[in-house]
Amino acid sequence: MTPSVITRSLGKRFGRKWALAHVDLEVAAGQGLLVVGDNGSGKTTLLRLLAGLLLPTLGEVEILGSSPQQPGSEARSHLSLVGHQGFLYEALTPLETLALWNRLGGRRKSVAELENLLAEAGLAADRDTRVSGFSSGMRKRLSLTRLDLENPRVVLLDEPFSALDRAGREWLLSTLSRLRAGGAALIVASHDPQRAAPICDRAVRIERGQISWQGSLGDLESAS
Amino acid sequence: MSTFQQALFVARKDLLLGWRARTRTLAVALFGMVTLVLFSFAVAADGEVGVSAAAGFLIVALLLSSILSLEESFRLETEDRALEGLLLLPVDPVAIFYGKAIANFVLLVLLGPVLLPLTAIFFSLELDGANLLSLALLWVLAAAGIAAPGTLYASMTSRVTGRDVVLPLLLFPLTLPILMAGVRSFDLILRGDAMSQLKGWTLLLAAFDLVYWVLCGALFSRTLEE
Amino acid sequence: MRNVATGIGLLGILLLLVGSYVGLFVAPPERHMGDVQRIMYVHVPTAWIGLLCSTFAMIFAVAYLWTGRNRWDDRLVGALEISVILGGLLLVQGMLWGRVTWGVWWTWDVRLTTSLIMFLLFAGVLALRSFVEEPLRRATWSSVATIIAYVDVPLVYFCVRWFRSLHQMPSSPETVHSSMIIPLRINAFAMLFIAIWLIAWRARIESKSRGAERPPERIEIKGALNG
Repeated sequence: MTPSVITRSLGKRFGRKWALAHVDLEVAAGQGLLVVGDNGSGKTTLLRLLAGLLLPTLGEVEILGSSPQQPGSEARSHLSLVGHQGFLYEALTPLETLALWNRLGGRRKSVAELENLLAEAGLAADRDTRVSGFSSGMRKRLSLTRLDLENPRVVLLDEPFSALDRAGREWLLSTLSRLRAGGAALIVASHDPQRAAPICDRAVRIERGQISWQGSLGDLESAS
Repeated sequence: MSTFQQALFVARKDLLLGWRARTRTLAVALFGMVTLVLFSFAVAADGEVGVSAAAGFLIVALLLSSILSLEESFRLETEDRALEGLLLLPVDPVAIFYGKAIANFVLLVLLGPVLLPLTAIFFSLELDGANLLSLALLWVLAAAGIAAPGTLYASMTSRVTGRDVVLPLLLFPLTLPILMAGVRSFDLILRGDAMSQLKGWTLLLAAFDLVYWVLCGALFSRTLEE
Repeated sequence: MRNVATGIGLLGILLLLVGSYVGLFVAPPERHMGDVQRIMYVHVPTAWIGLLCSTFAMIFAVAYLWTGRNRWDDRLVGALEISVILGGLLLVQGMLWGRVTWGVWWTWDVRLTTSLIMFLLFAGVLALRSFVEEPLRRATWSSVATIIAYVDVPLVYFCVRWFRSLHQMPSSPETVHSSMIIPLRINAFAMLFIAIWLIAWRARIESKSRGAERPPERIEIKGALNG
């Protein structure tokens, strides 16, 4: 079966600087890939390219058989990106935020279902408070409820564990395990291999925009 | 959800956010009012100016206020990268453009009931029922003409430093036809249209609006490319 | 290609010298204005070629959006800059003419006004470019802004014409005697060739400044290949 995520000779240039070059990756359904690297190594650029938010300078990205660059593409409706920023509107409540993503995402969840999602994220009590009043942990949880909302087949996560307390991390891990078990491909960029261990089996290291090491997660510890 | 429905949904979201930040929205109207006051002092201490000048001040006040309104419209999209969040959804970017342009248009139209009476008061203009209707139509066309290119440009400038300078620099020369058509039409509405020129000006304004609503919508998705 | 452009440029300069000589010394003085009118031999070609260069800019902008190839952005920069320079020259020439002919530095004549607005529109696109560092974005946005600016020009022209129609503004002569047409045409071609040369030159400079197109060397990947 074709891998869910494929990149071939992927490269991205910003001005004179090559943020990413010669990146070849494959992640199959149900697999988890951890991407490690220092700040500025190109992890975020990679995730944004995979999500279709950036256009490749060289090479190509294939998500579920199509390119995520086209706005209406098949690929976009089956992938989720959770990044550093939460993609939130400060003056909306969490319920309104989910309703927005629900409707514009073409999904048909009812208000009750959205409220359930918020409850599972531990945000039930704050569902009518505006996001501007949220702590960073709460914002992260709200952003992450997108995963339950969208039930994606490809999950892209950029430092998902930051700003979460232990309960939050456990909730996230259980969500990601569930998605993985359901056949989703996971790509997690994180400084913290330990946290990602339960859901990733392979890892790559990115240095100055190129993959410098790849192997199983277990080998990562011994390699570094 | 069709593209049209998506656009309406985005417009609704923007208007809701505008309502939630209504003190800020009101501040824009206040800014427009302050501009009119400045003009009245700049030309004649007793406010005695002709109809054309008053019309000019009104539309310039609209243009200046529009910059604030447009910038706000995109500030809330870039704050937490909320716009990118929408782009990750299977939403047609065209829907996002038209949704925001419609919301910006509505907000500019809402400045009319504030600025128009003030202009009439400050500059002693005679407005009656028939005039008011024509002026309202004129205002709507002018607001539409500013909203479309304004939304496109604001989406670009919100992502660069120096945005405060670039947006007016790009938008104002572009919207000079609106200023000219607005001033002429205003004059014709209030002082009589002996040579039936009003229709021509109205058509010109409508043509401007049509061209830019289509063109800007077509070009918007390209400006999102990174 | 570079030599062709330089050749065209040199030809242009030569033609400009010829045309200017004819215009200044050979062509007869104008009936009403006398020798002052001779400024027309640069003013009119500047207007024509300025408009042509802004049309080139429009074409390059569309080409960039269509093909995504950087060479069109390079050419766009050239066309924009030459349009703005010619636009500026046009305004200065117009002001000189007005000063000598009617005693005023500025009139809200249809063509002068439209030229001013065109100048502002295209200078605005260049200003936008200076604020955007990332090349892909800069190229796309410049193209979009150029198209929007260009489409505005006819709208502005008609507006100004109607707007000022109540006021009879003095304007430059519409009809031209045949003995004056020749230097005009010579200079028009001259300026066209010089403009092409300059646009090509500027495009080359821009293309060089963009730097290396190729990515760095591929590094060796360590670790298990089947990990």
